[in-house]
Amino acid sequence: MSTETPANQAPMAQRTLTTGRLPRLIDLWVALGAIAAGALVFAGFGHLDYVAGWLALGAVFYLAAIGILASIVEGRRWATDRFVRSLVIVAFLLAIIPLVSTLWTVVEHGITTLTPQFIFNPEKAQFDRATSQTTLVAGVGPAIVGTLIITGIAAVISIPIGLLAAVWLTEYALPNHPVRRVVTFLVDVMTGIPSIVAGLFAFALFTLLVGPGTFNGLSAAVALCVLMIPTMVRASEEMIKLVPLELREAAYALGVSKWRTIVKVVLRTSVAGLVTGAMLAIARVIGETAPIYIAAGYTRAAFNANPLHGAMSTLAVVSYRNYVDPDPTQPGVTEAEAWGSALLLIIIVVILNLIARLVAAKFAPKARR
Amino acid sequence: MKISRAGSIAAFALIGTLALAGCSATSGTDTPSAAPTSKVGLDAIDASLTGTITAAGSSAQVAAQTGYSAAFASVATGVTLNYNPEGSGGGRKDFIAGSLDFAGSDAPLSADELAQATATFPGGALDIPVYLDGVAIQYNDKDASTLNLSASTLAKIFAGKITDWSDPAIATDNNGKALPAKKITVVTRSDSSGTMQNLTNYLAGEAGSDWPAGPNLGTLPQITGMDLQKGGAAVATEIAAVDGAIGGVDHSALTSGATVASVDGVKLSNDAIGEAMATGFSIKPNTTPGDLSGGFDYAKIKADTKAYPIPLVSYAIIPAQFKDAAKKKLVVAYLEFIASADGQKAGATKANSAELPDAILKQVVATLATVK
Amino acid sequence: MTATPAAAANGGGPRNTGAPTGLAAMKVSKVGDRVFLGLSSGAAWLIMVVLAGVAIFLVIQAAPAIAANWTQNTALQDRTSGFTLGYDNFWQYVSPLLFGTIWASFLALLLGAPVAVGIALFISHYAPRRVSGVLGYLVDLLAAVPSVVFGLWGIVVIRPFLGPLNEFLNSSFGWIPLFSGDVAKGGSTLLAGAVVLAVMILPIITSISREIFLQTPSLHEEAALALGATRWEMIRLAVFPYARSGIISSILLGLGRALGETMAIAMIVSPKLIISFQVLTNDNPATIASNIANKFGGANQTQADALIATGLLLFVVSFAVNFVARWIVGRTSATPRRRRIPIRKAA
Repeated sequence: MSTETPANQAPMAQRTLTTGRLPRLIDLWVALGAIAAGALVFAGFGHLDYVAGWLALGAVFYLAAIGILASIVEGRRWATDRFVRSLVIVAFLLAIIPLVSTLWTVVEHGITTLTPQFIFNPEKAQFDRATSQTTLVAGVGPAIVGTLIITGIAAVISIPIGLLAAVWLTEYALPNHPVRRVVTFLVDVMTGIPSIVAGLFAFALFTLLVGPGTFNGLSAAVALCVLMIPTMVRASEEMIKLVPLELREAAYALGVSKWRTIVKVVLRTSVAGLVTGAMLAIARVIGETAPIYIAAGYTRAAFNANPLHGAMSTLAVVSYRNYVDPDPTQPGVTEAEAWGSALLLIIIVVILNLIARLVAAKFAPKARR
Repeated sequence: MKISRAGSIAAFALIGTLALAGCSATSGTDTPSAAPTSKVGLDAIDASLTGTITAAGSSAQVAAQTGYSAAFASVATGVTLNYNPEGSGGGRKDFIAGSLDFAGSDAPLSADELAQATATFPGGALDIPVYLDGVAIQYNDKDASTLNLSASTLAKIFAGKITDWSDPAIATDNNGKALPAKKITVVTRSDSSGTMQNLTNYLAGEAGSDWPAGPNLGTLPQITGMDLQKGGAAVATEIAAVDGAIGGVDHSALTSGATVASVDGVKLSNDAIGEAMATGFSIKPNTTPGDLSGGFDYAKIKADTKAYPIPLVSYAIIPAQFKDAAKKKLVVAYLEFIASADGQKAGATKANSAELPDAILKQVVATLATVK
Repeated sequence: MTATPAAAANGGGPRNTGAPTGLAAMKVSKVGDRVFLGLSSGAAWLIMVVLAGVAIFLVIQAAPAIAANWTQNTALQDRTSGFTLGYDNFWQYVSPLLFGTIWASFLALLLGAPVAVGIALFISHYAPRRVSGVLGYLVDLLAAVPSVVFGLWGIVVIRPFLGPLNEFLNSSFGWIPLFSGDVAKGGSTLLAGAVVLAVMILPIITSISREIFLQTPSLHEEAALALGATRWEMIRLAVFPYARSGIISSILLGLGRALGETMAIAMIVSPKLIISFQVLTNDNPATIASNIANKFGGANQTQADALIATGLLLFVVSFAVNFVARWIVGRTSATPRRRRIPIRKAA
């Protein structure tokens, strides 16, 4: 196949940088045209209301059109480039729709429920003696406390272990140390442990240690640890590896002991990344439902801040339970709790992320710009 | 556990006397409240009680338990109920393990489970009816504004033998009026539930030959095209959304506007469910003296033209002998309240369900008096 | 966040191995050093203990159910999958579940992985710098959206959205076994489940691949561009070879999440204990995780043990998948590794 193109055949005198290239806004025009064509096709079938359908068809038209146009005007190499770029952008738009739609659905359903009563109090049930009616007022206070306690315990256990293991892997163990190879491999495998298996593990562990039928926050935290530790090791390992060797050498040259070098130089330098890694690890587990429900049970109204005794709710479990068992006479209340706690969970994750960024910014070495 | 025949007879005699004593006590004083005669229900609650009752089990009960506990706590403000609707089987499992004050369960303890429970609680365990509701047959077919289905037709639909609404068997159940052809989609729960246990009990009892799967199944046996949803509420919504759908739903989980079929010519109502309980519930106690577990005699219910044929009764399972006296006082007081007219009304109003008939409630009170 | 076990395994040249080779040899003398070494190696050992613990406790709990005589045990026969079917043994019970788990995850990967890598590429190499930071953050945030939310979203948004598409695929492409059968009117199809799963694994694949794309040495990229390569050629020549093993391992992490996903699938899909490839009907194979979620609450002790046994199998499967995957990654990334140059900072 010849790579000769009209552009290459053009007389030298006429060649400028823009010769043989499609005009700048061509993508926009082609895209609009393609979407219109897609809409026309669907209108032809009488399904103009299926917007997603004609947008998708439009995307296909657009890719085809831009590919053909570019290969005529710009030549094979640049056409491929343009086609791939369009493809990536289309893929991005395609994916961003469901992601934004998810967030939007939660915000839309959840935002109206967020009142101080909802956030800070347990669900209230008011009994009216005259009518025998019990009126529920939505509230997820205990679940917020439960989420923070369970995730907090998991974080307090997992983050140091993960960090120390990463330090050992990067700073102490020789690359071909057999234990190091095994641990690295197992950590990778552990990242793939299904969360429900972690829940079953905690359930089985506490069944054998404490006795059957044990529900408590600690048990759920143990399940989360199994999920968190590998994430934490992986993240910290990568971040510690990014610390330039020269920094360590400089410290050693000054006679600083190894552990001080690690704490004051290596970890200090990578603190921003470590904090981000820890936040990602927390974010990964804070919304877990199945393992927590299996291990910690669920309590509807009671405040329980003792992780060693009694069932404990978390936001994700509350969301799930209220979806599955709506109240027969006041479905609005349970629905509000389902969506509201989902939204609160996302908000908590955002807040944790912001805190992490602030912490990272404060502790990161000042020299960085 | 070992108990002599004479001992158990003596125990029954004791219950009988206590029941009588209870009756005579209720006819004495008068109070201004809704309760008709004596200090029962809300007025009988000891306001000084405090503590947390930990319970788990049936999700069918959860709304009623919310009502019971809210009413109870309106007097005894220091009492909290912690009820985890994990499912009946899980409730019984955790009760046997000794981690609950009572279990909520749509089925009584099996012989196996009772033996295990006796290992935990030497006195044995008691099944106490606390909640009554019915299994509604919800359907979605705009061509049928009313619908009546017999046990055998229902069994055939759920077994996949009848797959179209125009089937002659459905016409026969509806005075020969045939429906237009439309595919039947059976919707049911993907998680195990007491609702389905009660439904399959009914099908096995009334339509034996058309229902080969047998009674007491937590989930309907799967057939091709069956639509499974998680949780009773999701089943109700799905039936309302899918044209041609039918399925068994907790009466209390019905949403407004749901179309519900009559079964064996009886329309679903709280009265019809109560009637079924009164005529059809026969107590077949386990080996623990005073136990009130039982089953429905579907033939008797069928004979009663006012009784809805698929009732659902749910139990609270407690030890016959508590290890902790304070806990015993608390749990028994709570269950005694549930067994009062006030308690039943509070639960039924919250859950949109039926109330247990007086005869059963009296037996419950009598049994509770024997709890040690 | 990149998973590059091969980097460690390969050892390679002196530039590559960085800190450990030279420094681990240094004599650890001071008390503080010894304590710190003890703590950190203890943590590494602890990880192995935990993993072994997971396996051991699951085995202890599951063994009675696997060993039980299923034909005789009424508790285990109770979970009838049909009118005539019972289970002769554990394997008969678990095989449809195992199939469903793998099939659903495969579909999700098929739908999600290419798109996820596409987004990662967009964020790292196509989007304007300012936008890419925000997008990266947004994607990380989505990784934290709980699965219940995806389940709710799947019911409220995806089921109705796919309705017309299901009809179209079934009527036009019904001759393909995949799209045959009676369309589920309520939309509780495996396709809906797979789409939601695909969306759920997007963030995890994207955030890791993006991270890897960003770590491509700029010098390689600039060299390619300087030689007149188009952007795509640069990506193909400089970025992909460098990131291949990382992309594979990110996809595997996505697979791990898909295999174990519980609530969203349990809420969206109509599950049965069958083996079926159809994706548009109500008759979908259940997954191990969703089956546990559906049955655990109602289970008595024996049944709960049986469910834990299925969970053990899920653990074994995800272990095996990861094992194989690491092995592949180890083989394909035998190319010389570079020293990481933190020129571009992620997000």
